[in-house]
Amino acid sequence: MMKTQPSKASIRLERKHPLAIRWMHWVNFPLIFLMIWSGLLIYWNDSDNAYHHPHAVYRVGIGGVTLVRLFPAWFWKAIHAPFHVTQGLGIHFFFMWFFALNGIAYVLFLAFSGEWRFLVPEKGSLRDAIQVTLTDLHLRKEVPPQTKYNGAQRFAYTGVILMGLGMLVSGLAIYKPTQAHWLTALLGGYEMARWEHFWLAMGFVAFFLVHVTQVVLAGWNNFRSMVSGREIRATNEPSLEAERRSW
Amino acid sequence: MQEQEDRDPKELSSADHPIGETGICSGKTAKEETRAADEQKMSGGGTAGKSEAAASIVEEQPGASGIPAPADPEASEHDAAEPEALEAGTAERTKESPAKETAGIENSDAQVLAASRRYTRRSFAVAAAAVAAGYGLYHWVESNPADEMQPWPLRRAFQSNAAISRWVFRERALAPTYPLSRARELRVNGVYGLKMALDPESYRLQVVGVQDASRRPEYTSDVTAWQYRYLDKKTMEDRGHDTKTPPRSAHTAAKMAPGSMMKQAEQRENRAGRMPRGLEEAGESRSTLPVGTGGLLLTMDDIRRLPRRELITQFKCIEGWSEIVHWAGVRMADFLEEYPPEKYDGAEPRFVYMETPDGDYYNGYDMNICRHPQTLLVTEMMGAPLTQYHGAPLRLHMPTKYGYKQIKRIGLISYNRSRPDDYWTKLGYDWYAGL
Repeated sequence: MMKTQPSKASIRLERKHPLAIRWMHWVNFPLIFLMIWSGLLIYWNDSDNAYHHPHAVYRVGIGGVTLVRLFPAWFWKAIHAPFHVTQGLGIHFFFMWFFALNGIAYVLFLAFSGEWRFLVPEKGSLRDAIQVTLTDLHLRKEVPPQTKYNGAQRFAYTGVILMGLGMLVSGLAIYKPTQAHWLTALLGGYEMARWEHFWLAMGFVAFFLVHVTQVVLAGWNNFRSMVSGREIRATNEPSLEAERRSW
Repeated sequence: MQEQEDRDPKELSSADHPIGETGICSGKTAKEETRAADEQKMSGGGTAGKSEAAASIVEEQPGASGIPAPADPEASEHDAAEPEALEAGTAERTKESPAKETAGIENSDAQVLAASRRYTRRSFAVAAAAVAAGYGLYHWVESNPADEMQPWPLRRAFQSNAAISRWVFRERALAPTYPLSRARELRVNGVYGLKMALDPESYRLQVVGVQDASRRPEYTSDVTAWQYRYLDKKTMEDRGHDTKTPPRSAHTAAKMAPGSMMKQAEQRENRAGRMPRGLEEAGESRSTLPVGTGGLLLTMDDIRRLPRRELITQFKCIEGWSEIVHWAGVRMADFLEEYPPEKYDGAEPRFVYMETPDGDYYNGYDMNICRHPQTLLVTEMMGAPLTQYHGAPLRLHMPTKYGYKQIKRIGLISYNRSRPDDYWTKLGYDWYAGL
């Protein structure tokens, strides 16, 4: 089909996201949702008795001053958390395997396909990321040239993979703090591991909010490419396929 | 949308035709053309500005990225063939008016857009099917018949996770221990089987399944006939609360059964034949002893004869909290040495079952975790004898399990060949509960 693409076209279809990446990306979305939701159902069990034994792990504060303990009662009610601990445990310890396997498969695919080169920050990515952020904040007009991802995206997407790894590691440290006590100790102990696990989950929520906002702003062509794999690009734009061939 | 769908077949066929035949599409309406142009504009999407900037830079520094222009393999094949096409077309093209050339570009772009639409339709159809399948899978998992208050796929996952854990870790690791300065009073959480104060004089530990039990002096032909006595007075030194009750009632005596209730329970417990057991939420244990079961009746002195051990480990509740506690008592491993399980066909029973004297709370364990050197039959906490709500006179501590497995006020220890019933497992929690 592409063979019939006329040379005089001003646009072309670019293979942006490989099929495997698209599948793993979209499978990950409900999995993360399930993990965070079920995690909250489990966590409710500790917050519930805060009146009696204020828990130290999920408080926000400095030194002895506590600003807030997560979460307020209305939030728990809104997500129907009260008394669903066993549902949370069941879901969490079932879907954790799929989350882990999907993540491992994703990293392996990146490694063997070479696609990691699009994703991992490179020399100049930091400067690029700062400029992109300034542009997004309307403090700067033009963004630097990019192929698949700009510097900010490289940092964000690599960071979120590391966060996923952090979730698995801190999760194991909480799950088996006796059998894998060396790991728990490495993370600063049981309570610290729980703190890390929780705030990484909050980090995922933050990533999700920014990510969705950016996708909405980037428009349909960009979003569609995460489903169909193809993006319409101007013929004079840098080519991803050419870059892939250069690896 | 409708219009677009109607157009599909034409687009499909035209796209498959060679370039020269794009004239078929030249009959496009003005409306369609504007839309195509719009889509083209949109194709820049949010990055429209970016792409322009990028393009201009590429023009300025052609060798900057070292990347040639072609998009993908197919496109490059096409490019390879391009010179001829160009040559053939040059003469003609020079004669073409600029307007015609623009129309040519628009037609070509329209083909790209048509191809994009085909990919889009196909992939979104697959995506919709995948969403339906995903939802179906989740619904299937959640709506399956429950096995002890967990849909069976999730219950099965608990069991598989336990099997993996046993296999990977071998359960030999020792939990970290801490300096005494970090130990604190353990919070009371859960008072099932402890609500009435037990008369210490009436305490006996029933032990069933011990090797050559009938030859031991502590043997009795029916351990279930032992009469526990309850004190009808408020001897509570601390007030238990359980996290499932609102704060107000946690501070009242509502946790305590009224005196009359205690009396009634005591009478039922002590009369010939057995009272109803397991009056809490999870109900009666399937592993509770049938009347007439022979076994040992041990006193606290019998237990204290075993070597005394101390341990400072972290107690972890599945609710999420944890506390470092100073424990003292005897090793369960030593107890098993002193009162070894009877073998059946040369094999040792694989499980241990424990319950409170009234049968309200009960736990099942793997035999090998009971032999873990840190599994303690606890008699003292924080340097003082156990109190009522901490399970006086004897409770279990094992840093290899969550708190709900660390039964308080043990009335019975029985060696089992089949997996024993477990209080919180019946309410949806994991039987294994291994840390």
